[in-house]
Amino acid sequence: MENHQFLFNFISEYTGDILAGVLIAIIPLALLLVYALVAIYGELKIASFIQLKLGPMRTGKWGLLQPVAEVFKLLQKEDITPDGADKPLFNLAPFIIFLGCYAALSVLPLSSHFAPSGLNIGLFFIIAISSLAVLGIVMGGWASNNKYSLIGAMRSVSQIISYEIPAAMCILGVASMAHSLDMNVISAQQQGGFWNWYVLGGPAGISKIWLIPFTVVMFIVYFVTSLAETNRTPFDVPEGESELVAGYHTEYSGMKFAFFYLAEYGNMFVVSAIMTVIFFGGWSSPFGDFLNSPIWQIFWFIAKSMFFVGLQIWLRWTLPRTRVDQLMYLCWKILLPLSMVCFLAMALGGMLY
Amino acid sequence: MNLEAVIFYLFALIIVASGGLVVLSKNIMHAAFALMFTLFGLAGFYAMLLSDFLAVSQIMIYVGGILVLIIFGVMLTSKITGVELKTGPIGKVNYLFGAAISVIIACGLSLLFTNSKWIEKPVDKIPDSSINAIGYSLLTEYILVFEVAAVLLLIALIGAALIAHKDQIIDSDASSNEISTNNDIKIKE
Amino acid sequence: MINYLKNIIKGFSTILVGMKVTFINLFRPNVTVQYPNVHPLVRAGSDKMPDNARNKLNVIIPKCTGCKSCEKACPVNCITIETTKVASIDTEKPLMEDGKKRVFWLSQFDIDFAKCCFCGLCTIACPTSAIVHSTDFEYSCYDRNELLVHFSPFNKEQVAEKKRILAEEVKQKAEKALADKQAAEKAAQEQNITDSKIKSSDDQTSANQNIQNNSN
Repeated sequence: MENHQFLFNFISEYTGDILAGVLIAIIPLALLLVYALVAIYGELKIASFIQLKLGPMRTGKWGLLQPVAEVFKLLQKEDITPDGADKPLFNLAPFIIFLGCYAALSVLPLSSHFAPSGLNIGLFFIIAISSLAVLGIVMGGWASNNKYSLIGAMRSVSQIISYEIPAAMCILGVASMAHSLDMNVISAQQQGGFWNWYVLGGPAGISKIWLIPFTVVMFIVYFVTSLAETNRTPFDVPEGESELVAGYHTEYSGMKFAFFYLAEYGNMFVVSAIMTVIFFGGWSSPFGDFLNSPIWQIFWFIAKSMFFVGLQIWLRWTLPRTRVDQLMYLCWKILLPLSMVCFLAMALGGMLY
Repeated sequence: MNLEAVIFYLFALIIVASGGLVVLSKNIMHAAFALMFTLFGLAGFYAMLLSDFLAVSQIMIYVGGILVLIIFGVMLTSKITGVELKTGPIGKVNYLFGAAISVIIACGLSLLFTNSKWIEKPVDKIPDSSINAIGYSLLTEYILVFEVAAVLLLIALIGAALIAHKDQIIDSDASSNEISTNNDIKIKE
Repeated sequence: MINYLKNIIKGFSTILVGMKVTFINLFRPNVTVQYPNVHPLVRAGSDKMPDNARNKLNVIIPKCTGCKSCEKACPVNCITIETTKVASIDTEKPLMEDGKKRVFWLSQFDIDFAKCCFCGLCTIACPTSAIVHSTDFEYSCYDRNELLVHFSPFNKEQVAEKKRILAEEVKQKAEKALADKQAAEKAAQEQNITDSKIKSSDDQTSANQNIQNNSN
């Protein structure tokens, strides 16, 4: 598929290749920043409404400027580096984590005519690059010179590494059905209505019906692992404030803490976007060719991703935190076998259709 | 100097600088984290050579797997036991040995490099992706190697599980005091 | 194996139940209000504070008997009560709220809200429910003295007047008592004299008895 470079070609005609590359690279960043504001606002409001409260109301109409105010508050705060901390690593860690999240955004196809980088092994790239977050977390936790940070970092790493396996199984399952790792291709295969989405067995006609339970279970498995990989409740043991103050970002303040915050929300978007691409048709419209122009595709992609972000927020305010051993039990003894069974079924489906 | 050369030298700079840091840093954690940049730079090189699958595999396996393992090991040994792990002076004899080995390796490599016949084949068409070709050759030409590697990994996995499990058994056997026997009885009941 | 699958299904379904609960709550009306903008007392659908809200205290003076139970119950001694007896010669004949005759004027009933810990023990101690929690919870003020609230219906002059009347009555009573006493003493003396005249020849025990009688 060459048309994902449409925007790049369009811009480079006027500006030249280098500037066009820079401009294209800025688009995901702008998207991430705007999305983070929306997600923070959504998190605050949904949390409040679930608890029958009003949420932020003072900053602007209905508190709409609250995330902006929070960002400014974080920017104004003093940037503290603890005395015993390992300064170079301590200062580097937030940026490494943010880098992982930002790099993952670079391969998401927002529309059939635009992906920042049309990598044809996009899914594999996303699995690989998300391991950067692990390194950043270890780096921050170790460099803080704080017991709680270190324990939080270790919990986080063991959790993320464990949950990467079922997640990779889910992605592999879909990849074996799609015969591709290119996210744009996978999205394009699911065009023609929600019946063709991979969560409902993919574009294979009526005979795929036996596959539907497996793909649905696979989607649920992936959703659970995505919660764990972004350290969201109910799997936020690495930053459980009743046990570890704030986990690996205990010692961070100001701008660097803002980066952690941004990376957390950015990772939520990334896993939701992966979910959208591999199970819910990516940018393709749920109603066949209806509203399926490239501009509308951007809308569909972001709407679907935001739906899953909302689902994550909703779950966060529903469930209590799991215990560490329950977390590992869930991963190794439930999600992994389930995902393997489903992977076998989906691989069979991939061979048949 | 075109864009590719700029990117190449950028990556080269990153690799050399961080590689130097890996060797020279006295703090093992710093060395381990500097290794990350080296590995990333290598991945960048692979990507520049149009082998995208290899580049991502480099990140996946080395950065996401091996480096995390190294860091975990270093972190657990130095922070939790309270022993500062640092590379100290090794002595002049070792310096001499090291220098000699480095010179030999450098000479050998440069000899190889100048004397070997490099296959320079013009690329008629830049392949869309190397992944299809890799997949086909892995499952046709190199299927035996592939399967052997898979079996090896499986053995390693089972062995790791066995080691982890055996520790537990030895522990309960070694502490054969009253409490553990009571526990055993309870379990039997 | 079946237990394992059952466990998974149970875990999943209970999560769905929880999500349903939170989803329903998502669309229920809020219970909180934008406090300084919307006062809780004028909030739509509710015109009273919660039943156990412990706000500023209020004293309903017509109910108060001046028993000082609240003063004794107060753990931080923020209530100061001074009572003045209602003089019988007072032209004002006050009644309690329940129609009984008032015994004490409350010449001073001060509560220092700077000290008050809003424990509500005084409201429990009060036998007539005269001291109660009001609906007012905003105590901020610019001067600490404003927190010392006087509940007594009288100003200083009125208190002085009541005290004067009481003092007058006490004086009258004292005079009367003095007169009574003098008269009684006089009578007793006379009686003693006559008694001693009559029973001068009696034995000692009977004499003692007589003295006791007299003294009674």
